Amino acid sequence: MKPVGYVGALITAALVASASAQKVELPIKIGVALAQTSNTALLGQEQVIGARFAEKYLNARGGINGTPFKLVFQDAAGDENSAINAFQNLINKEKVVGIVGPTLSQQAFAADPIAERARVPVLGPSNTAKGIPQIGDYIARVSAPVAVVAPNAIRQALKLDPKIKKAAVLYAQNDAFSVSETGTFQETAKAQGLTLATVQKFQTTDTDFTTQVTAVLNSDVDLVIISGLAADGGNLVKQLRQLGYKGLIIGGNGLNTSNVFPVCQKFCDGVIIAQAYSPAQPSAANQVFVKDYRAQYKKDPPQFAAQAYAGVQVMVEALKAIDRKKKLSTWDLDDLRVALNKQILVGKYNTPLGPISFDKEGEVNQRDFYVAQIRMKDAKTGSFVYLK
Amino acid sequence: MEFSQLVQNTMNGLAIGSVYAIFALGYTLVFSILGIINFAHGAVFTLGAYFTYTLVVGQFENNGLLKGINLFPDGSPFSGSALSFGLATLIGAVLAGLVAVLIERLAFRPMRARGADPLLALVSSLGVALVLVNLIQLLVGAEIYNFPSNAYGEVKPALAFQIGDKTVVIRTVQIIIFLVSLVMLAILGYVIGRTKIGKALRAVAENPGTASLLGISVDRFILITFFLSGFLGGLAGTLVGTAFGVAGPYFGVTYGLKGLAVIVLGGLGSIPGAVLGGLVIGLAEAFVPADYSAYKDAVAFALLFVILLVRPQGLLGKAVIQKV
Repeated sequence: MKPVGYVGALITAALVASASAQKVELPIKIGVALAQTSNTALLGQEQVIGARFAEKYLNARGGINGTPFKLVFQDAAGDENSAINAFQNLINKEKVVGIVGPTLSQQAFAADPIAERARVPVLGPSNTAKGIPQIGDYIARVSAPVAVVAPNAIRQALKLDPKIKKAAVLYAQNDAFSVSETGTFQETAKAQGLTLATVQKFQTTDTDFTTQVTAVLNSDVDLVIISGLAADGGNLVKQLRQLGYKGLIIGGNGLNTSNVFPVCQKFCDGVIIAQAYSPAQPSAANQVFVKDYRAQYKKDPPQFAAQAYAGVQVMVEALKAIDRKKKLSTWDLDDLRVALNKQILVGKYNTPLGPISFDKEGEVNQRDFYVAQIRMKDAKTGSFVYLK
Repeated sequence: MEFSQLVQNTMNGLAIGSVYAIFALGYTLVFSILGIINFAHGAVFTLGAYFTYTLVVGQFENNGLLKGINLFPDGSPFSGSALSFGLATLIGAVLAGLVAVLIERLAFRPMRARGADPLLALVSSLGVALVLVNLIQLLVGAEIYNFPSNAYGEVKPALAFQIGDKTVVIRTVQIIIFLVSLVMLAILGYVIGRTKIGKALRAVAENPGTASLLGISVDRFILITFFLSGFLGGLAGTLVGTAFGVAGPYFGVTYGLKGLAVIVLGGLGSIPGAVLGGLVIGLAEAFVPADYSAYKDAVAFALLFVILLVRPQGLLGKAVIQKV
C-alpha cells in the first residue's frame, strides 16, 4: 500500500472510531420537528404547546429516572423541504436520540426516510395517512390512522340525521393526509349507503372556493365531507354557509383544532369532527394533563397538543426503561438510538390518549375514539362538544 | 353548460377578475414608468389586508411580536372604538401606498441613481418582498386572519335567484368587490387621462429625459406612481382578504404571480390591458369545471402561454418594432 493509502486508511479509521465512540450527551436531547410557521402552524403551534408541556411536566417529575431531558425544536413549517432540513439538523447537528414530528403526513413521507437511513427513531404525532409506519423500521406514530378514526364521523352524522342520502366530498389534493382521509370517508359513505353526488378537489393554499361551493349547492346534497387543513378547510366551511348550504358538515382531522374557530367563526357551529382524543378521557394521566393544561391555557387541551404530549411521553418512558438496564450516559449515541427504537415498540404507555402500545410495524394500538361537534360561543371562541 | 351555471360562473369570474385587474394595475403603473416589475407588489397586497384588518379589529392578535397591542387603548380619544370597515380600508390602502413609496426609496431609487441594470432593481425588489413577508410573520404571526363577519355591516350574506330549477348565489362581498373595483378603475382612468398629474405621469412614462426638460420632477412622479401602485395593491389585498380571509404572510405570493400573468396577458404597460387581462383570467378560472377547480391556477397560466404564442405582445400591448 502506498503512503497516501496508509494515511487515507488511518484517517478513515479515526473518523469511524470517533463516530462510533460518540457518547450520549446529558441532558438527553429529544428532537421536535413541528410546523411553527406556514399555514400548517395552526396545527403545529398546538403541538409545540403539547410538547413543551410534556417537557416541563415530565422533567418536574424526575425526567428520565432523575436525569433531565431537553427538547430541541426545529421549525418543520408546512412543506417537505423544511421538514427534511429540520430532520437533518436534529440528527446531524443536534445529535438527538429520537424525533417527534413532523406535523403533516405529506412531510413525513419526505422526511422520515432521512431518519430511517440514520437509524433514528421517529414518532409521528399527527401523521395519520395510510402507510406512515411502513416507511421504515424506525418510524412509528402515536396518531391513530385516519382509516380508524374518520368513519366514526359519518356514522355519527347518520345518527343525527338518518334521512341523509346524498353527500358531497371535498378534499385538498396537494396534501397526502387529506387524499388518504378522503379515500376512507368515501369508502365509508358508500358502505353506509350514501350516494356521492360530487367529489371535488382544492389546494391547501386556496382561499376562493366559490366554484366548489356552487357545485355543492347545485348537487342538492344533505351532507358535506371535507378533508383539508384548518385554514383552507375552515374557509371552505365559511363560504359554504355564506352561500346558503344548510346541511350537516363533517370535517376531517385537519380541522380538528380550536384554531379553526377564528377561520370559519360563527359558521363553524355544528361541524362534526371525529377525534382520537377527548379531554373527557378518564385515565389518570389524561386528567392530570387536562387539569394542568386548563390551569395554564384556560381551555381544554386539543387533540394535536395531546398527541404531541404523548409522543414526548413515549420517548421519555422508553428512555427510562433503557436507563434502568444501563445508565444512558454510558451509551454510544448510535446504539442508544437503535435501543430506543426497540424499546418504544415493546412498551405500554398510559398517555392522555388513554393506554397505547405499538404493533411491530410501529402502528399505534389505541382503544378509545370520539366524535365531537363544534359549538361556537361567539365569533371566535367555541368548543368541541363530545357526542355519544 | 346550463344557463344558470353560465350566469353563476360569469358573476364569480367578474368579481375575482376585477380584483386581479386593480392589483395588476399597480404592477402596470410601475412598469410603464420604470420599465421594470416590482416584485414586492405581492407583499404590499398582503400588508394592505393586514393594515385594514388591524384597524377594523383595533388590536394585533395571534402569535406575533405585536400580539396583544391595542391600537385604541383606554384613555385614548378612540378608546375601544375600532374603525368602520370603509374608513379602515381607505387608511389601509393609504398605508400600503406609503410602504410602496418606502420600497421605491430603498430598493429602486439607489439603483436608478447608479444607473444600474434594471435586472438588479428587479432582484432588489424581490429581496424587499422576502424581507417584508418575513417581517409580517415575525410581527403578526403565521395564522390566518378573518375579518369579523359583520365588518362591513349586517348585510344579507348572499343574493340568491332562481334560473330554471337551479339557484344562482352571489355573495355580498363579491358585489362589494366588483363595485369597489369599478369605482377605483373609473377614478384611476380619470386621474391618468384627465388630470395634470396623469399627463405628467404619462410624460414621464413616455420619456423621462424630455419630461425633466419640461420641468416635471421625475423622481416626484415616480414616487406618486409607487404610491398609487401601493394603494391599489393594498386595496386589492383588503378586498380579497374580506372575501376569503387573510391567509398568512404568504397571502400575496399567489396573487403576485397571477398579477404578472394578468399584465403580460393584457400587454405590458397597458392600463386597459391590465383590466382586460384581469377579467379574462378571472373568468377563465371561474369556468374551470368544478371537479377540476384545484387546477385553476394551471389553467390561468396555460391560457397565458397560449395567448403569448399567438400574440406575444399581449392582448392590448403594442408590438415592438425595431428599425434596422
